[in-house]
Amino acid sequence: MSLVNLAHVCSHLNNATKARLSLTSIPNSNLHLKLCNALQNSGYISSVVRGGPTPPPAHPILGYPAANDEVEGIEPVTLDNVASRRLWLGLKYWRNESVLGKVRMVSKPTRRVTIDVEGLRRVVRGEDSGYVGGLRSPGESLFLSTDRGILEARECVEKKLGGLVLCRVL
Amino acid sequence: MSLARPARCLFCSLSRTATPGTRVPRRQFHPTPAPLTNRKPKFPNVKSPENSTRSALKADDFKSYTEEEKAHLAKEYSAAQMEAIKAGEASIDPKDLSEQSIRRTDPYRFKYLDDFSVIEPGIDRNVRAPESNSDYNFKLKSEDQFIEDFGRFFAESNEDIKPADFVRFAESLRLTEGKEENELNPHSALVPDLFGPGQTIDEPRVEERKSAAEKGEKERSLEAEELTDALKSLLLATGYTERQVRELRTKTLVSHSVVNQTRLGKVRRAYRLSVAGNGNGLLGIGEACPRYENRTIFGDVTGKVGAVELQLMHRPPGFGLRTQHLIYEMCRAAGIHDLAARVNRSRNKMNTVKAAYEALMSQRDPEEVARARGKKIVDVRKVYYAGKV
Repeated sequence: MSLVNLAHVCSHLNNATKARLSLTSIPNSNLHLKLCNALQNSGYISSVVRGGPTPPPAHPILGYPAANDEVEGIEPVTLDNVASRRLWLGLKYWRNESVLGKVRMVSKPTRRVTIDVEGLRRVVRGEDSGYVGGLRSPGESLFLSTDRGILEARECVEKKLGGLVLCRVL
Repeated sequence: MSLARPARCLFCSLSRTATPGTRVPRRQFHPTPAPLTNRKPKFPNVKSPENSTRSALKADDFKSYTEEEKAHLAKEYSAAQMEAIKAGEASIDPKDLSEQSIRRTDPYRFKYLDDFSVIEPGIDRNVRAPESNSDYNFKLKSEDQFIEDFGRFFAESNEDIKPADFVRFAESLRLTEGKEENELNPHSALVPDLFGPGQTIDEPRVEERKSAAEKGEKERSLEAEELTDALKSLLLATGYTERQVRELRTKTLVSHSVVNQTRLGKVRRAYRLSVAGNGNGLLGIGEACPRYENRTIFGDVTGKVGAVELQLMHRPPGFGLRTQHLIYEMCRAAGIHDLAARVNRSRNKMNTVKAAYEALMSQRDPEEVARARGKKIVDVRKVYYAGKV
């Protein structure tokens, strides 16, 4: 689990939303894929597709590449092409503003921050807990790496899970 | 250890010494030196009897006026004043005077004069409310217990029961078991109303409002004729009625003079930065400032203009405006009542106001967030707790 690469992804997403890109790509890794899926479940990004160095073809109706595209299909990952795979993310914009606001790392490569359920309850209520500041704005979320995958803080509280705090999205 | 010590000292130590404290300590083999017994303390001790708050005065020292003195006083004072003096003399016990009317001289005395028997709101600490009437073990009465109550009522009352007796019985009948206060005066989590219905912190009281309205009508009829050109153009530009414009709360926040250097010389002008608002969600003219529950902001927001970086933080009801004066005035104008702010780096007045405006306008509407993300967002405070948390 390289937090260095994750930090690069976070800043890349910030740069991409500032540049108003509709599609961007990040290096392929299981951690990135899980985080992107969590972001997609939370509605921050529109699509996550594993593709090659060139962007995968857009879905005929949606207008962006979709993982469940039956017409084009997804190129399967093999030993030969796994090194060239990238994750292609569709970014969302609403009323002239990007839906994915600012993505910030909470854990750093030199300081990993973990949190338990008690602390997470406080964070979700908007209070600070240790190194983790409270979620005090509407639409703010925190993503954690738990032993049941990468989940949003509120889901973790629901499932009574603690874990490694990855990043905060506003 | 001193071997050179003469032997007679050993015998001396057995006999009683003339002075109670010896200068040479006895525990010579001890690694740490013992403090000298007759060492003088660094600071003189404050002994309590010297400092006692009791006055030397006794009750006998306060004597009532003699006839001679009264005759002297009568020359100075009127008959009514003399009566008052007499009544005062009679009402105060000399014993109380000797015990209470003393100036303390101890180092812990108060440096000011005050009546400590009165609790002044805002200065003194609040008097705690009594403990709650809650009884957590209360139970609703069962049917059998109600039947018992009825039976007792019939047994105790006379043969001819009037309807009024029934009403009295029904009113005094308790429905629960446990502490009586729990049922009659239950604990409520609701904040007690500070104001009556239709009354807010900003609005004057009903009587004042009425008189102000009467006064306003008179003034308006006078002023209707003298609409200034500036006001006319403002009405045209904004589309507000004259009344709406007059009700705007304005405050000049920054004012200084500026100089334009030309070849003709220095041209001085005045710079004014003012804030306007109707105290109900309008900040500036025609700019709506989003408010959560008409009292605070949606989420924490930040603003940055120049080197001024500030954060505005939402706060619970009743928190008040704990901000610096510029942001306070802006919040007053916008009708925000609960807010905390922190201004970092520079605190330039002009840029602080601009940054605060930027921050207030950068609030994210939860409805918009919900639609943008395609998620359902619920205000838990409003929906689940009906604004009671």
